Amino acid sequence: MTIAETRGLTKIYGAGETRVVALDHVDLAIEPGEFVAVMGPSGCGKSTLLNLMGGLDTPTEGSVVLDGRDIAAMSDDELTSVRRKRIGFVFQFFNLIPVLTAAENASLPLVLDGVPPKEALGRAEEMLAKVGLTHRSGSRPDQLSGGQQQRVAVARALITDPALVLADEPTGNLDSRSSEEIAGLLRQVSGEWGRAILMVTHDPRIAAHADRIVFMRDGRIVDDTRIANSDSARDAMERAGLL
Amino acid sequence: MSIQLRLAARYLAGRKLRTTLTTLAIVLGVMVIFGLNGILPGMIQSIQQVMLASVGQVDLSITSASSGTFEPSVAQAVARVEGVRAVSPALRRTIALPRDSGLDASALVVVGIDPVTAPHVRPYPLAAGRMLRPSDESGMRTAAMMSRELADKLGLRLGERFKLPSASGTTVLELVGMLDTPALPGSEEVIVSLPMAQRMFDVGDRISEIDAGFVSGADREAVQRAVRRAIGPDYIVGAVQTESPLSAGFEAASFIMNTIGVFALAMGGFIILNTFRTIVSERRHDIGMLRAVGASRRTILGMFLLESLMQGLLGTGLGLLAGYGLAIVANNALGRMVEQIINLPPTDVRFTPSTWVTAIILGVGVTVLAALVPARAAARITPLEALRPAIGDVYEAAATKRGWAGLALVAVAVAGLLSGNTGLAGLSVVLLLAGLALGSSVAVRPLSDFFSRAIELVYRSEGGVARANLQRNPGRAAATASAVMISIALIVALVGTITSTIEGFGVYAEKSTGTDYLILPQNLLLGGGTVGAGPELRARVQDTPGIGDVATLRFANTVLNGTAVQVVGIDPKEYGRIAGFEYSKGSSEADLTRLERDGTVLANGVFTAQYGSGRGDTLRLPTPSGEKRFRVVGVGNDYINAKIPTLYVSQAALERWWGVTTDVLILADARPGSDKAAALRELTKTVAEFPSFALYDTASWRKVQADLYAQMESIYYVLALILAIPSLLALLNTLTIGVLARTREIGMLRAVGGTRKQIKRIVLSESLLLAALGLSAGLIAGVWLGYVMILAVEGLGLAMPYRFPGVGIALAVAVGLSFAALAALIPARQAAKLDVIRALRYE
Amino acid sequence: MSVRHAILGLLAHEPRHGYDLHGAFEALVGGRGVWPVNPAQIYTTLSRLEEAGLVVKSMTRRVGGPDQNVFELTEAGREELDRWYESGAPSMHQRDEVFLKITLAVADDRARPERVISRQRATLYRDLHELTTRRSQLDTEAPLAHKLLLDKAIMHIEADLRWLEMTEARLHEMSRQPVPEREKPRRGRPRVTSIDKRPGEEGGDDT
Ligand SMILES: Nc1ncnc2c1ncn2[C@@H]1O[C@H](COP(=O)(O)OP(=O)(O)O)[C@@H](O)[C@H]1O
Ligand SMILES: [Mg+2]
Repeated sequence: MTIAETRGLTKIYGAGETRVVALDHVDLAIEPGEFVAVMGPSGCGKSTLLNLMGGLDTPTEGSVVLDGRDIAAMSDDELTSVRRKRIGFVFQFFNLIPVLTAAENASLPLVLDGVPPKEALGRAEEMLAKVGLTHRSGSRPDQLSGGQQQRVAVARALITDPALVLADEPTGNLDSRSSEEIAGLLRQVSGEWGRAILMVTHDPRIAAHADRIVFMRDGRIVDDTRIANSDSARDAMERAGLL
Repeated sequence: MSIQLRLAARYLAGRKLRTTLTTLAIVLGVMVIFGLNGILPGMIQSIQQVMLASVGQVDLSITSASSGTFEPSVAQAVARVEGVRAVSPALRRTIALPRDSGLDASALVVVGIDPVTAPHVRPYPLAAGRMLRPSDESGMRTAAMMSRELADKLGLRLGERFKLPSASGTTVLELVGMLDTPALPGSEEVIVSLPMAQRMFDVGDRISEIDAGFVSGADREAVQRAVRRAIGPDYIVGAVQTESPLSAGFEAASFIMNTIGVFALAMGGFIILNTFRTIVSERRHDIGMLRAVGASRRTILGMFLLESLMQGLLGTGLGLLAGYGLAIVANNALGRMVEQIINLPPTDVRFTPSTWVTAIILGVGVTVLAALVPARAAARITPLEALRPAIGDVYEAAATKRGWAGLALVAVAVAGLLSGNTGLAGLSVVLLLAGLALGSSVAVRPLSDFFSRAIELVYRSEGGVARANLQRNPGRAAATASAVMISIALIVALVGTITSTIEGFGVYAEKSTGTDYLILPQNLLLGGGTVGAGPELRARVQDTPGIGDVATLRFANTVLNGTAVQVVGIDPKEYGRIAGFEYSKGSSEADLTRLERDGTVLANGVFTAQYGSGRGDTLRLPTPSGEKRFRVVGVGNDYINAKIPTLYVSQAALERWWGVTTDVLILADARPGSDKAAALRELTKTVAEFPSFALYDTASWRKVQADLYAQMESIYYVLALILAIPSLLALLNTLTIGVLARTREIGMLRAVGGTRKQIKRIVLSESLLLAALGLSAGLIAGVWLGYVMILAVEGLGLAMPYRFPGVGIALAVAVGLSFAALAALIPARQAAKLDVIRALRYE
Repeated sequence: MSVRHAILGLLAHEPRHGYDLHGAFEALVGGRGVWPVNPAQIYTTLSRLEEAGLVVKSMTRRVGGPDQNVFELTEAGREELDRWYESGAPSMHQRDEVFLKITLAVADDRARPERVISRQRATLYRDLHELTTRRSQLDTEAPLAHKLLLDKAIMHIEADLRWLEMTEARLHEMSRQPVPEREKPRRGRPRVTSIDKRPGEEGGDDT
């Protein structure tokens, strides 16, 4: 069973001289609860893949199937509704609304979906507690550290119970300690709460939290590796040259 | 949706300075529209009230449609109508009191009533003394009544005598009764018997008003209709005619004020446009993110429109408050001026529903409209924007398409101006302004290149940076320049027109008052209300030693297309000898003699412009003696009546059709070769016996006129200054936006060794450049607008000398540049004060 | 690796018998799963140390079973331990199996270096995943020593991954050069021999 799948997904930017094939017939299937990291050099199409899967952009060719529905063919309004209900985004630059409090930011997708603000705020507070931000729910983003802001963003991504959480370099703007915490949080989101996560990262240590790593190059997937449930630590240590 | 509301409110509160500036822009426009409109209706209403109050508790009042007097036989016709219980004829005249009358009022209303019938249609509650008696008509007893309040005000006691000016000079009246009615300010009535009044005003047995009482229980509407049928269309039944030239004047003033308010709001619109463009570009990330997490385009559009709505409501609300304040202050100042001219009571500031609606709709509407374009741009932002890294104040492409559209509009405007048609030329101004505003985003680059060369002479490096900064965002620069442009154009045009007009009227006055002496009522109310003099004054003037030719002007009213037209009676022969009458094209002195034939009129320029009829046309005019056809035999102007739609007829015709025989204006020349000083002394003695008249010789008359124009001029300068304020706000707003958007760059400049002084100079240079852009477009538009305004004045038949508005341009340049420096003050200080480390870290 | 010196270090704290030493070592590195050493290895090493005169059996104890020897440091043993503390530990990364696999595969038509790299990377990521998981499972009370050891392993894997990435990027370039031969060394050959020798390195390799 897959929750999200791309078939022959292709994205071409520009035309003629400036034509860039950002994605070249990518097939990728993601299972529920799976934590997938996408790695690859800059410009290889990672963000493009995420944007297409999240319905932020429309493919040149191919399809994205989410919950059994092809979102490539949807209108802007339909896409908007899918993004609101079925997809959670975590961005590199947190992208919180500076004039709203942490709880208000986290409750945004619910409020946009028509949930009464009071109820939405209540649920946001719960979600913030889950991601470990109990006492800062009334703070504005500029009063929070980067790691805390990203936690708010994760809470916002999760609040509508999305099928798929997309995170484009969620730790790209954080120090290593906060990065580690956010990666651990995402791991928990997939492992304990059963959400599928697709995360772009450059950092092997962050990628190592995933169950599976997809390597991309020049718009194509060149390697797709399960890394969870591997050999014992002994082998690991040995190969690390410690023994 | 409440999230939009919450976001809008938070964002507004989050950028206080910009919200304040934007709000001010709206406040200014709304204040002008609301405030000024708050004064005028009060004054108009007050005039109407005064007129209506004179009708009192009477069931029905009948006046002539042409505001003059009419035959008393009409009263019998009214009395015959079923449902009418009683009728009473009356004559009502406002008399201006000479300054030395000894009475504490500038004008009184003299009402002649029939003591027998009057109490049947209207109550006269006596407080002291007695009611007028029929025996008072004998002419031996000159009895009068007035309200106790008025008597107190005038300091009169029962039995005391007082003098009033009349057609035969003065009339002495004795106060025999005091009434318990309130003396409505502005309609202080002195009640005398009808024959007495008819003698005082030299109108024979004519009356000006019929009051009627209804049978109790009668269908008032039906009776009114029946009365109207019985007496025909020449009379106004029910209410006093309110379409007086005075209230028409106020309405014209109201129109001008509204236009200025709309211009102020248009400038406000550009400021708002800039503000919202900036906040949209600042919030690209937020918008992208909102779209990514599921906000629809409508939600985004709604959010910005809501924000502009709140901004508009805030500005409009404060504008209404400020307008209220302005109304009170201006009402006090203006009221005093008006009170000197006509005896109008101090009026209340009053806001009609339409004033409220206009101010609110314009204030909120302009804000929302100006925000619409940026809001739509915001709704088009894709969610991908959220993922791109933040960008600072980047280069923005100039909207070339809009630029070409603007140029095309300018071309059409040129064609309109050259067409020679006044209407098209007027339209061309609007097109020109719109075209320049549209095209300016394209012109920003070459023009700023040009002007920055001058600035770089002084601030070599700073000027270049300022120019580059400005060129980065041509749209913002263009909107700012457009606001400045409108200010400058209006200043140039206003000042230019005023200088031209004053000069024109100066020349005109010189020609028109070719007479040596001018005798006219101390408070001249052309178009009605002014008491004239009987034949006596004219005869006495003629007999004064040293006086040669004499001519008189008489006044009456008629109505054309529902508006009042002044009718001036002249004696063609004597008038032609003495008066400087300026003939328009196609007319000549010969036309004047044609006036001796009945059924002919001369029209003045304002009249032909307003009614579109000229030489050879036939007019159907209501007169107190029924409708009459008149043919226009010529067009020309005299100075005194130049601003009022006027028809000239012979005095014989005026007497025949309007029943007017009193002289209001007397023109006299010294006999050639006589001692002018001596003649003036003699004439002064003669006129002194007619206290409501004043004597001017050419020099003193011109001085009076010059003072009047100086007063007007200063009002226009104040107006021009008010119109300049929005441009100051626009500059301030843009510079603040620029400093904020470039915080990092400023930090970098400081870090690599830029001094505070240099930073300040960069901001100042940018401000000067912006002002220069606005000035260059504004000067063109202003000269153009000024020219079109002169054309319009010429269209009224007044030959205006066109003067290139050098003073206006100098003033506009001075205002523009000093405002630029002023506007740069705060942002420059802000920029220079930036903490380098914080600025570099600024996101 | 220096289990030898670890035994000397542990005996410097207090005399212990062989079984005791095994337990102490496991506790030190954070459990059997992290760095497993079997008891036999401990005993062999002990007897070698005894032969070298670095440790002595001080006492025989009998606790209801076979005799157990308690060892303690000799003067020479103390000196050897001091020397160990004083010297640096050698880096052994130049002896790398992956390097060999890749360079040889480049020249071998039947092997595919890309595949080697891809396999290796998968392996490294698996290890990294495992170590990260273990590291994140250590609670705050766990000995700092254990965390530090895992961190070290993680950092090494990261370095290896970086190297692998760099190599992959230059694979094409590499394939255009012949395999380095003994007689005629070329540019581009890995400069194994030039790595600095640090003082005390000679004594460090006996695992
Ligand atoms: N809006 C765009 N227009 C043109 N080219 C683009 C656009 N977005 C991305 N690209 C190109 O597509 C390729 C893939 O980009 P991206 O998915 O952002 O890479 P990554 O996230 O892996 O760094 C790059 O070559 C990039 O230059
Ligand atoms: Mg990317």
